[in-house]
Order: sequence, then structure tokens, then C-alpha cells
Amino acid sequence: MSDREKFLKEKISSLVPKETELESRGEHFDFHAPVTCSVTTSHSIAVGFGDGKVRFFFEGEKPSTIDAHNGVVLSIATNGEYIFTGGDDGRFLKLSQNGDIVEIANFNSRWVDSVAAYKDIMVCSSGRNVYIWSGDQKKAKSLEHSSTVGGLAFDHTGKRLAVSSYGGVTVWERGERRWTSKRLVWKGSHSKVGFSPDGKYIVTSMQESELHGWRLRDKVDLAMRGYPAKIKSFAWVGDTPHLATSGDHQAICWPFDGKDGPLGREPVCVADCGKQISTFIEPLTGEKAIFVGFNDGSVLLSELDENKNPFVIRNPKGSDISAIAISPNRSHILIGDSDGNILWSTLWKNN
Amino acid sequence: MNDMSQVPVTVLTGFLGAGKTTLLNRILTEQHGQKYAVIVNEFGEQGIDNDLVVDADEEVFEMNNGCICCTVRGDLIRILGGLMKRADKLDAIIVETTGLADPAPVAQTFFVDQDVSDRTKLDAIVTVADAVHLSSQLGEHHEAEEQIAFADVVLLNKIDLVDDKAVENVQTRIRKINPYAKIIKTNHCSAPLTEVLGLNAFSLDRVLEVEPDFLESDHDHEHDDDVTSLSFVSDTPLDMDKFQAWFGNLLQEKGQDILRSKGILNFEGRDDRYVFQGVHMLMDASPMGPWPAGKDRSSRVVFIGRNLESMNLEEGFEGCKVA
Repeated sequence: MSDREKFLKEKISSLVPKETELESRGEHFDFHAPVTCSVTTSHSIAVGFGDGKVRFFFEGEKPSTIDAHNGVVLSIATNGEYIFTGGDDGRFLKLSQNGDIVEIANFNSRWVDSVAAYKDIMVCSSGRNVYIWSGDQKKAKSLEHSSTVGGLAFDHTGKRLAVSSYGGVTVWERGERRWTSKRLVWKGSHSKVGFSPDGKYIVTSMQESELHGWRLRDKVDLAMRGYPAKIKSFAWVGDTPHLATSGDHQAICWPFDGKDGPLGREPVCVADCGKQISTFIEPLTGEKAIFVGFNDGSVLLSELDENKNPFVIRNPKGSDISAIAISPNRSHILIGDSDGNILWSTLWKNN
Repeated sequence: MNDMSQVPVTVLTGFLGAGKTTLLNRILTEQHGQKYAVIVNEFGEQGIDNDLVVDADEEVFEMNNGCICCTVRGDLIRILGGLMKRADKLDAIIVETTGLADPAPVAQTFFVDQDVSDRTKLDAIVTVADAVHLSSQLGEHHEAEEQIAFADVVLLNKIDLVDDKAVENVQTRIRKINPYAKIIKTNHCSAPLTEVLGLNAFSLDRVLEVEPDFLESDHDHEHDDDVTSLSFVSDTPLDMDKFQAWFGNLLQEKGQDILRSKGILNFEGRDDRYVFQGVHMLMDASPMGPWPAGKDRSSRVVFIGRNLESMNLEEGFEGCKVA
């Protein structure tokens, strides 16, 4: 090898990122279909794909595969034990971790866009309707909304169900005999929705690359703006807590402590990734730290502290991160992207 | 943005009974080996022969951005997003609208939504018109005018049911609303599919080919709210600042009435051709390479809309010329 070639080789290898520790000790899978959603159950991590398959990842085992939908797995939820999925084949399914499939409903050419579950209550949305099955009921209770449902979320008690759509959120409350509702209004299209862990706030991500929130006590509006892209992912982090959000070159974390939450306060901005846009946020369970996935496939781990440097967990692989999940006892991490790549690894070095 | 990865979306408009389903089924049966998704509406006719048919609600919502006419199709954002998660790659997506739909929100969705415009592109708006009934429909329904105004292709169907004179009249009527749509006269929607699909009509470089087929306009019997078109040409270079000020203000104030606009601009002191196209208040604009050497540099702009006469467009355009 000539000096020139040697020089070039060194130069090139200095351009190619080295594997991260997590990448070198983890297992790599290419499932050839976009990873669309994931959820952590009491025993495993369940992952939905663009070809209708659902895969279960158990700690220390090979993943198992279920042919669930005849199309994209659009949404996934768990009550801890079972998995509930909605698909673009119009089916709402209940899956057990040993591979049993029960079709709960079939809406044919109407997609099942969102699902949610709490103990023995299972919920899905198709078009403008939300369908709720409680206990052993065969027939669903149907709740109609004025426009297509964007997202569903239970609060921590399972008594309230937030349903986002155009123009705001409908909060349904389960009474002794029936569901009653109140409406939170804000113009525009609302998609993903979530309660704060204490149930005092509701937050939605919007079409306009912003978040909207309401303090439920008095319906005070909280507008969280300034994002260059749509917010595809948000999560609550820490005891305080902070709402960590994607849609910027970093993770934007809004403080929800105190009486007024983020009203008039600045967010904490961590895990800066230069020009890339964050697409997925997952808290490191029990810590004040988050995994942040970006549209180039890189993943950073950062504490919620602007003075600390983030760690590179996964190098860019080219396509956006669409799932990050931590296994039930925090021993493993799963990272998935829109090309169908999955990195499955022990989270810590010594286990 | 990688153009290769964008799936083309063809929008099929036209009144009920004009022949949209006939055309759709021809596309689906004749294009062998191609994978299509078809997005239909709840009032659509039955009998679409495809394994990937998605029901949509035509839900139009207003963007929360202070722009009053910026409405988009929320259901399209949701469904196109879902289709892009499929493991199998689609060759094209066809959106069939109801007979009474305004095409603007569909087109605006591709301007406004980043995810939609990253992964898909509006290929063309194809309007199927019934040669027998179009004239009366144009008089009675705003939507019929809008569907013609937005069309890149008008399939003038059922011409076997009317005489030559009537075909001529209805063509004149279409031209008056939209001088740059391509009119294809057919029976049973039997147009070559290459003239319906894969047109790339919304890409800015296609604006360079704008050669509107203008008629002498007579304004005697027009209602104020008839859709018409106006175009202007200038061999004198334009002042960029003046043009931006005038045009920006025009779209801001009159964007509701301006359905579509297109233009190629020759700015003083610039070697590049500037090209724009707009739908109501939304606009896409970019330099498109230098003017061809040795050819005349002339600016051309076209407006299609209502009440154009009241907008002093000619004065405004003249005022942008370099003094």
C-alpha cells in the first residue's frame, strides 16, 4: 500500500463512525418493513411493522413473530398482559404473548387508527367513532365525535379517556352507568394526546408543528411553539415532571411542576444533534434522562440538564427512528427505524 | 428531498355520473404490474376493482396559522402518512373526490404538510366532465367551476351523446375558465393513460411549459362570481422588490378569489428564470436555471379566479416593470 493509499484509508476510516458500545454488544435485525409502533408489556417489548407483523422481544431470547394484520400495524397498546393493535386492514386485534390472536372488531376499509387499554377495558378508534369494550361485554359502546379521531389516552386511574380530533379534545369520564364528556377547544388538528402523570394536564401534538395543552382544573390553554417540524413523539420524564418532545434539532423539555406548569417558562433543551430533527423520545425509566431518536437514525442519551453532554447510543443509519423501548425490568433496550432495522441490546454493560 | 422516493398522487375530480369510476377502473385494470392505492369517499360509486381501497371522509380543516383560506384535507394527511408505512412500495396513489368537492384543500395539503410533501407529490388534478351536462353544471355549482379551474387535464367525456357544435361550445367554456388545462375528448373515458398519469403537472419546471391557449375574452355576459382567467406578458424586465411587494400583498388580500396562479419571471439583473405557482394564498417559487441563450426573455403570469377584473392586475403587473 502506497503512502497515499494509506493516508486515504486513514482519512476515510476517520469519517466512518465507530460502533457504539451498545451497537457492538447488541443484536441487529433487518425485518424489511418499517417499524411503526412499540409498547412494553409486563414481560416483553411488542413491536408493530408495516407488513402487518407483530414481534415480541423477551429478555435473553430470540424474538417471536405473529402475522397479525394484512397491512400496516397502525397502533399498539397494552394493559400489561395483552397487546391490542389497530391496522389499515380495518381490524382491531387482541394478541397474547404466546401468539394467540383474537379479532375484536373488523371495520373493513376503515382503518383502526388508534388503540388504548386499561385493565379490562379496551378501546379503539375508526373514523369518528371510539369503541369501548369493558369486562366481558361482547358489544362495544360507541362514542361519536365531530371529526376523525387523532389519538386516544387513558389517565393513570383509567377513569378518564382523552380523545383528540379537529378543534380540540373530548375528555370522557366513566361514571357508574355511563360515560360523560367535556370538551377542550383549540382550533386546528390534534393528533397524539396524553395526560400528565398526575392527571392534571392534557397535551396534544398538532398539525401546525406545535403542542397544545390544557390545565384541566380551569381549562387554561398552554401553547408550546417554536418547532421546525411536527412533534411525532412526546413523553413524561422524571418526578417533577418534564414533558420531553421531539420535532426540533434536540429534545425540548417543558417543565410541568409548580402551580402553572410551563406557563411563561423556558423549556430545557438537551441532546442537540446539529441539523437533524428528533423523531422519538423515550424516558430512561426511573431516571431524569431520555433517549432521543433522530431522522437520520442516530440515538442520543441525555440527562435533563443543559450542562451535561449527551452520549451517542446508535450511529446514523439513514432512516428515522420510529421506536425506542425499554424492557420491563430495565435490562434491555430496543431501537427501531423506518427501514425495518432493529437494535436489541442489554442496556447496561454487565448484564 | 429525493424526488425518486416521492409517490405520485393523482386527484380525480368531476361531478357524479361524469365517469370517474370508469376512468379509475381503466387505470386499475390496464396498468398491469403496478401497485396502486385508491382513496375513495363515502359517497363514491361502488365497484372499484383494487385490493387497496381506503375509505376517506373528505375532512377539510382550517390551518391554525392565521391564513383564512388555508384549508387542508386532514384525512389525506392521515391516510397518506399511513400508506407510507407500508412494507410494499406503491407506484401511485389515486384520490377520488366527491362530485361536490372543492379541489383547493387537496392541492393545499401538498403545500402545507411537510410529511406529505416529503414522501408524496401531487402529480396532477384530472377532472372528468360530462359533455352533455357540464354547461348547466357550470352555471349552477361553484364546485364545477372550481374543478375545471384546478384541472391540469379535463377529460371531456360522453362526446358521442352531443353534436359537434355542442362539443365546441363546452370546450370554449372550459377554455375561458382554464386556458392551460389539456382537454381530451373521449367516450367512456378512453383516453390514453399516459395523458392522465405521470404528468408531474405540479412540479415547478412544468410551469416553464405554460403556453395558455387564450381566447379573445368578452366580458358582456359574465356574472361577478364566474371563474375566469387573465394573463399578462412583459418583455421589459421586472423589478424583484416591486414584484414581491405587489404579489405578496395580492395573495394576502385576494388569495381567496385567486384559485390558481402560475408564472415565469424575468427579473432585472438576474440570469435565472424565476418560476412560481400558487393555490389561493399558498405559493411555491424557485429560480429554475438560466434563460436559454439567444432567446427572448419575457415574463408571463396567469391567474385563474373570481372577480379578477376588480384586482387591477394589469396595473399591478405593469407597475413591477423596471422604470
